[in-house]
Amino acid sequence: MSSRQIIVENLKKRYEGDFYAVNDVSFLVNAGEIFGFLGPNGAGKSTTVTMLTTLALPTSGKAHVGGYDIITQAQQVRRIAGVALQDIGLDPVMKSMELLVTQGQLFGMSRMDAIKRAKELLELVRLSEFTDRPVGKYSGGMRRRLDLAMALVHKPEILFLDEPTTGLDPASRRDVWSEVRRLNVQEGMTIFLTTQYLEEADELADRIAIINAGKIAVEGQPAELKAALGAESINVTFGDNATVERARNALVDMVDRAQIDRKTLRLYLQNAAYAIPTVVNKLNELQLQPLSLTLTQPTLDDVFLQVTGQRFEEETEDEAQTEAIA
Amino acid sequence: MTAMTKPLPQTQSVSEKSKGMPLWKQITMMTWRNLVVIRRTPASVLPGLMISVFFLFIYEASLSGAANFFLAGKSYLAFILPVSIISASLSGSGLAGQYIVRDIENGYFDKLLLTPISRIALLSGPVFAGAIMLAIQTALILTVAVLMGLESATGLGGILAVLGFGLLLGTGFAGFGVSVALLTGSAAATSGASFAFFPLTFLTATFVPINLLEGWLKTAAEWNPITYVLQATRSILLDGWNWEYIGQGLIACAILGLVPFFIALWALRQRTSRK
Repeated sequence: MSSRQIIVENLKKRYEGDFYAVNDVSFLVNAGEIFGFLGPNGAGKSTTVTMLTTLALPTSGKAHVGGYDIITQAQQVRRIAGVALQDIGLDPVMKSMELLVTQGQLFGMSRMDAIKRAKELLELVRLSEFTDRPVGKYSGGMRRRLDLAMALVHKPEILFLDEPTTGLDPASRRDVWSEVRRLNVQEGMTIFLTTQYLEEADELADRIAIINAGKIAVEGQPAELKAALGAESINVTFGDNATVERARNALVDMVDRAQIDRKTLRLYLQNAAYAIPTVVNKLNELQLQPLSLTLTQPTLDDVFLQVTGQRFEEETEDEAQTEAIA
Repeated sequence: MTAMTKPLPQTQSVSEKSKGMPLWKQITMMTWRNLVVIRRTPASVLPGLMISVFFLFIYEASLSGAANFFLAGKSYLAFILPVSIISASLSGSGLAGQYIVRDIENGYFDKLLLTPISRIALLSGPVFAGAIMLAIQTALILTVAVLMGLESATGLGGILAVLGFGLLLGTGFAGFGVSVALLTGSAAATSGASFAFFPLTFLTATFVPINLLEGWLKTAAEWNPITYVLQATRSILLDGWNWEYIGQGLIACAILGLVPFFIALWALRQRTSRK
């Protein structure tokens, strides 16, 4: 039995031209935890995964996966780790059963056991009805689910998922999420998940680390980080730009920061909920009629903005609005 | 910490307990897998086969009359058939490289690297699958030749020996395509590599016996190992078992096979060593 932990110390990966894709990264993933590794494209997420899963060697630094050294005990790491890489590596002319059975046998199962396991997994990822179709004819979501099944064949103790939902439609994304949760809770699997979706990390991870330009910017529990670094906001939308301007001028002194986003005024402040009556009174006083007023909880996007000084490219402002007052 | 409150059932990964698969089984499995791929993508083998049979028809039709002066009544078909077999072997030797490059491109190669698979099985699966395809291809060419009226001085045994030579040459030579595939990971470079040795089939006693060649072509032919393979297979079909020629032919095959084999092993290490 492996320790099911991931311990990473001062990991570095240098590519040609003195470019550090991963630059002195350290973190600890506890046994049985879902760890979200969050960052924009090119931040160093996949490079970290390829090192931890033994496909690439670090330039310097150390890492242990399940108690095994990724540099000197690569075979042991491969036996206890399940890996679904960002680029799904499935031969398009093969069929799901063939791929899964081959995978199982390579991990030392008998053919009968491998077939049994393959059927189990196809059931699990709801692909049992599609065994006759070559995987090249699968949809993106189906391929992703089969790839996840491939990673699970040998009952790994630690699962690496590199951007498991990138390019999936929202329904398939939710499927992957519930499966990840199930594996974690029911099978006790330690899961290392990279994502560029803040929402995903927020939804799934017990703890997250934000990586940016090869370095870890911040690490902690999502709620903790949001509380420490995020800001709640009151968002007031008006009918025209002139009114938004007037409202901002009237309210800017009451809040930490006020920002205009098209016809919406965003007021950032601590304990935003308590401030709502004051804001409403002030608007009444000036006879400014809002079209809507919402309260936004801090998001990881705010955390990201705080620690990196830049916004995430993704569309994240849509969700997390908890309360709407007309 | 939330993680600590979760149940931690004792699931041990299957593979940590098991010893893994014996090497011969891994090789069989990888060979089988490549054959499945070939069966589903027949376009990769058909052109090579067609071209070999086409050459056989053309050479026989256009040169058999003119060749009478050096063959003294013997069959030109038997004289030219080995050329067809050897060119099929050389072009067929590219198959293994193509299968490997395919896996590198679609990412399955990396997937396999993440399993405890032996590196030797990764290499020999496609090579053996290519050899099986080559055997089928060569057998088909020989069948066509027999239908065209081939008479072998050594009977069926001789025809099988020629098949064996084709197979030996093609399998050994597969190492070149495999090496290019592993080193470049590029399909274009890999298919180009199988053409690089195309001239070998012409810088030799292709259309007439070596004693009729002159000048630089004669020198090239004497140095070209293919010449000795041709000589061995021709003597089997035209004259009978000439062990000296057969021995030279086998040595030539060994040279043409072992060099690429070691390059391929080195290329495999380049590809799979972690950087």
